[in-house]
This record gives sequence, C-alpha cells and structure tokens, in this order.
Amino acid sequence: MSLRRPASAQTIPSSARKPGDRSSRRALWLGLAFASPFIIGFLFLFAYPIAASAFYSFTDFNLFQTPRWVGLDNYSQMFGNPTFWQSLGNTLYLTVIGVPLAIIISLAGAHLLNFPVKGQPLYRALVYLPSIVPIVVGGYLWRWLLNTQYGFLNYFLGLFGIDGPAWLQEPDWTKPAILLMTFWTVGGTTIIYLAALKDVPQELYEAAEIDGAGAWRRFLNVTWPMISPVTLFQVIVTLIAFLQIFTQPFILAQQRLNTPSAGPGGSMLTFAMSLYQNAFAFLKMGYASGMAWILFVLTLVITLIVLATSKKWVHSANN
Amino acid sequence: MVIAPLAACSTGGGSDGSQGTTTITFSYLWSGPEAESLEKIIADYNASQSEVKVIGVSSPDFQKQLTSMSSSNGSFDISDNFGDVVGSWASKGILAPLDDYNIDMSGFVPSSLTQMKYGGKTYSLPIAIHSQLLMYNKKMFADAGVQVPTTMDELADAALALTKTDADGNITQLGLGEAAPGATQRMIAAAFGGSWWDKDGQPTPLNDGNIQAMTWYQNLVNKIGPDKIAKFVAGYGQYQSDQDPFFSGKLAMRIDGEWNGVGIPKVAPGLEWGVITIPGASPQYKDTTEVTASTLFIPANSKHKEAAAKFLAYMVSPDAMKAFTVALGNMPALTSLLDSSADYSAIENFSAFADALKSPNAYAPSSAVSAGEYMTDLNKAFDSIASGNETPKKALEQVESRVSSYSK
Repeated sequence: MSLRRPASAQTIPSSARKPGDRSSRRALWLGLAFASPFIIGFLFLFAYPIAASAFYSFTDFNLFQTPRWVGLDNYSQMFGNPTFWQSLGNTLYLTVIGVPLAIIISLAGAHLLNFPVKGQPLYRALVYLPSIVPIVVGGYLWRWLLNTQYGFLNYFLGLFGIDGPAWLQEPDWTKPAILLMTFWTVGGTTIIYLAALKDVPQELYEAAEIDGAGAWRRFLNVTWPMISPVTLFQVIVTLIAFLQIFTQPFILAQQRLNTPSAGPGGSMLTFAMSLYQNAFAFLKMGYASGMAWILFVLTLVITLIVLATSKKWVHSANN
Repeated sequence: MVIAPLAACSTGGGSDGSQGTTTITFSYLWSGPEAESLEKIIADYNASQSEVKVIGVSSPDFQKQLTSMSSSNGSFDISDNFGDVVGSWASKGILAPLDDYNIDMSGFVPSSLTQMKYGGKTYSLPIAIHSQLLMYNKKMFADAGVQVPTTMDELADAALALTKTDADGNITQLGLGEAAPGATQRMIAAAFGGSWWDKDGQPTPLNDGNIQAMTWYQNLVNKIGPDKIAKFVAGYGQYQSDQDPFFSGKLAMRIDGEWNGVGIPKVAPGLEWGVITIPGASPQYKDTTEVTASTLFIPANSKHKEAAAKFLAYMVSPDAMKAFTVALGNMPALTSLLDSSADYSAIENFSAFADALKSPNAYAPSSAVSAGEYMTDLNKAFDSIASGNETPKKALEQVESRVSSYSK
C-alpha cells in the first residue's frame, strides 16, 4: 500500500498556501475539531479551576456564598498558623524519608525479581498485587494490621521478642506507620525498574566482568548509569506523590463519622489533609486555595531542583 | 459512596405529575441496625399517605454530606446531623429556615431547641436528645472492692485502682477511658466549673475550670503512664463492636451516652453495667452532663422543601419520634414523650440518662460558626496534655492563639 497525499496538497504546495486561504482555514478548523475534546477538557477541567483557585486564594470564600476579596490575608494567616507549619513539616518528613526508601526498596525488589528462578512470574505478580488493591481498602486493612491488640504486625514482632509500638497512638510512630503502608504499594515502581533492568545491554556486564568487576562494581558502573533516566522519572513521580500524600494518613487518622482528625498531636496531618480539612470541613475555601498554590509552587521548585541536578547523575546518549 | 448520589439523581426528579406525588430523598448518617429502624419509619410514612414519597439513603459521612449541599441542585431534600453545626451552617446559608412551614414546634424540650436557632430563626429540629454520664462495669468494681466515685478525687482513685498491668507493665485493663478522642477531657471540664464556650458561644479555652480539669486529667494519666495508655488505646476495637473495650471488659469506666442502653444488650448481653452522674470537683459542680441533639434539617439547595417539611413534621411527631428513639435507645426531644418514659423502660439505664437532663448543670455545646475548627484544635491540645508533651495551660494557650483566625 502506498501513501498518497491528499489531492489539495498535491496541487497546491503547502509553502504556496497563505494563512487566509480557504483550504488553510478549513485545515485549521478541522484540526481544532479533532483536538476539541482535549481543548474543551483542558479549558473546563484544568484552566478554569486553576484560574478560579488563584482568584479564590485572595478571597474569603466558603463554597456557599459570594467570595469576598481579602487580598493577602489568607497567605498571612497561613504563615502565622502553627498547624500550617506542622502539616508542612509532616509532609516534608514523609517525603525526605519516603522517596529515597521507596526508590531503594523498588530497585532492590526489581533485582530480586530479575533473578532467573523458578516461579518468577508468580513472584512478580505478588509484588505488584498490592498496587491494584484500592488504596482505601488497603488503608482499612492496615488500621487492623497496626492495631496493638489485634494487629498482625505487633504479633509478628512479638515472635522475635520485640515489643511493638502503638503505631497509631504515639506521635513518634505514626509517620513510620504511614511509610510502611506506602511501601506496601511500591510494586508499580518495582515493575518499571524491572523493565529498565532488562533493557541494560548484557554485553556491558560481560565486558565489566572481563575487566574484573564484582557485583557491586557492576551495579555502580553499569546498572546505575544505564537505569538513571528511569530513576529520574521515578524520583520525580514519587516526590510529587509524597508531597501530595493524603489517603494513607487520612484513613489511618480517621475517627468516627469522619470528623476532622490529624492523629495524635497532629502527627499525621499532611499538607494535603490540612488543605482538605480547611476546604471541606471548615469551609475555608479561599484559605485552602492559597494552600493549594503554596503546594504547587513548592512541588515545582523541588522538581526543578531535581531536574537541574540530573545533568550530573543521569546518563544519556548526549551525556 | 457512589450509590447515594446516583439514587438521589434518579429519584430527585420531584413531582410525579400524574399522581401528584413528590419524591424526596432523605440522606441520613445512620447506618446498620439504626438505618434499618429508620427505613421502617420511612416505609410507614410512605404507606400512610400518597402526597410525598420518601427514598431513604444511608450515607454516614459528614464531609460528603456537606459537599453535597454546595451545588445549586441538591442531591437530597432532608438530612440529619448534630446541633453543634447549626450555627455554622445557617450562617453560610446552607440550611433552609423552618419557621415558615407548618411544623409544630411547641412540644420540644426547651433546652433542645437552643442549638437549633441562628439569628432568630429555626434551622433544624431535634429528633432525639442525648446526655452523657459515667458508665461503669459493675463486676470490675465489685472484684476490685471499689465504690462508685462521688468526687473527682474518688474518680481518680477508682481509675487507678481499676487499672491493671501484666508482668511486662503493659495495661490489660484501664480504669477510665474514652468513647471518642478528647471526649472525656472535654466533658470533665464542667465538673470543675469550666466551660469551653462563653454565654455567646465564643471559645474560652483558658477558663480556670478547664485548666483545673486538664491538670486533674494529666495528673491521672501521668500516674499510669502516657505511653502505656497510648499503647492500650491503640489496641481498641471498633466502637460498639465485640472489640469495643468497654463491651469486652477491658475498660472499667467511660463517659458515654444513652444509646448504649440498646447497643450493649445487642453486642455484649452479659455485661453488667451501671451509670452514675459525673462527680463534681465541688458540690456545686456535681451532676454535669453534656446535652446534644440529633437533628433533622432541610438543605437550602433542596428543590422540594415543602414536601421535605411535611416529612420532617412527621418525623418529629410523637409516634414517629417514639418509634425512632426507642429503636435507637435515644431520648425523645418531645416533653410529652420524655415524661412518659414507660415506653423506654426496656432500655437499660435509660432513666439515669433522662434524669440527667433535669440537672441544673446540664449544658449544651456551642453551635457557633467556629465550632468545628475550635473542636479540632481542642482535640489536638487534649492529645498534647494526655501525652504529657505540654502543660494544660500551655496547650490551651496555643488554642487561644488560634481563636482569632476562626471563621466568623
């Protein structure tokens, strides 16, 4: 089958067409029509809400009444509010510890799943399985697993003579509990890493072995550089996920009738949870919009920093 | 979570012109056996007339309920909540005023209507009222040879005497626990003459009685060990289930409400429990109890307010209210029903909770605009106090510093 250009394009070279030509306008409208699902979706579901939230962040707005312009009041209130700083601190704690650990666990898991052992497809499926469990269902499951009286986790620790902590009652242990629950679902990241490992050319390992490189040296000088573009992607995606972390702490801190809760001493209150409570429990939608913009700017800055550093550690054809 | 809005959409069409029947959606927070009882009342109403058809939807999520009322087209026409949200919601135009509908409001227990009003108008009506008292496990008291306390000092002594630990120092039985985080701490303040609100409903975290109560509580917790208590509490099962610590005999005392009179016989039929009023730190502060109300309201975005008001009038009529409150073990909000408590005699310890309503020290929490934010901050302060991380005064000063930022 041969590819044929449309008749109009055959008779009138594109360079000869002028912007105002009928055929050119038709092509433009046709293109816009094809792109319209995205354009309409973008305008109504992204552009308008983004613009609206920017406007609301300068207003006193409770969802039910007309917004009232208050200038920078929401932002000044935010920076003077200890709960704001606590939620930011909790989020950064989870991010700083959670991102590297999630990457390390995923990468280690991918290596284990890359060994040529019997039943490997089954192991891969088992590792990925928690990722497809709805996160809310997983959350309630973990509430029971972490229960000191009836939970399996402390029972398991007890088998080794370890007196497990009160995971969801002691402020020092609530964030490790959230991290545990998060690491339970690193299967998706692990599978992506596994695909990356399989893409590393075998001859590079063979060459390294001939040069006398051991397993650790092969990982450092072959595997790590070759999968570094995937690592950059994983770091950014995981970073954004941790900065926006909501469901896991929300479920673990949840109280009867879903009243606003933050765990013992506010230790589970993440930035996204605080934003949600201000918006939908306290009906301070203007303040919450301001928080959303702070989170957006914070995420953008951190992502740009990671991208800037990537030139030094991400291997590519040009680098 | 998906079913409720779908059900609401499919039935919220309103008037079925040909038959003159208006269909309304009643989205309620109750679930399980309570929802089943409610559905029977709804079925009775639907069978009794043809003007309004009510579709009941169990949707036990406060925040989902609130967001459902933010659109111009309501997904439900009548719902329930508690009295402490009335001020906040009415001030934002979420609730429809009920004064213009033909609903008899003359027979309610007067104190139960206090929270229902905002700006001189009535925005909700109580279908049930609740009081909270000190519940105790009779067997544990007998086994330990402890008498029921009559002062706060005696309460502290009893809580210590009834707390048991194993060889490793882990608590196996706690003397005084909580039905919900912060509930005990909030309610013992009145026993010291404290209050979390002034007469206008504005927050007063630094009231002297509050600080005294929190100091009493922190001293008690420190004697047992905050970490040990935290570990024990982390093992609590679901409230009012087989694993509920009071129901399963792991908790000797807790402050809780009259609905346990129905819940305990169902879940823990062998439990021998008694009820006493919360002791006072001094005689003038004895017999305190927090009185709250389960309310029904019509959201401002309902398209069928007239029909919803008719159903609401039915729900707060003596027959429906009696059926509802007897089933749930709640106290009726109508004086006529409350005085004829024979209907409620089968509910364990019901009379003690009903009598508490008559105490001069019974009080209702504020329904001020800022109540939600204030309670969230108070619970955080209670955590700091219970864990020993802050002194009561410092923890409550931090709440005070936040008061000016609350919604007005």
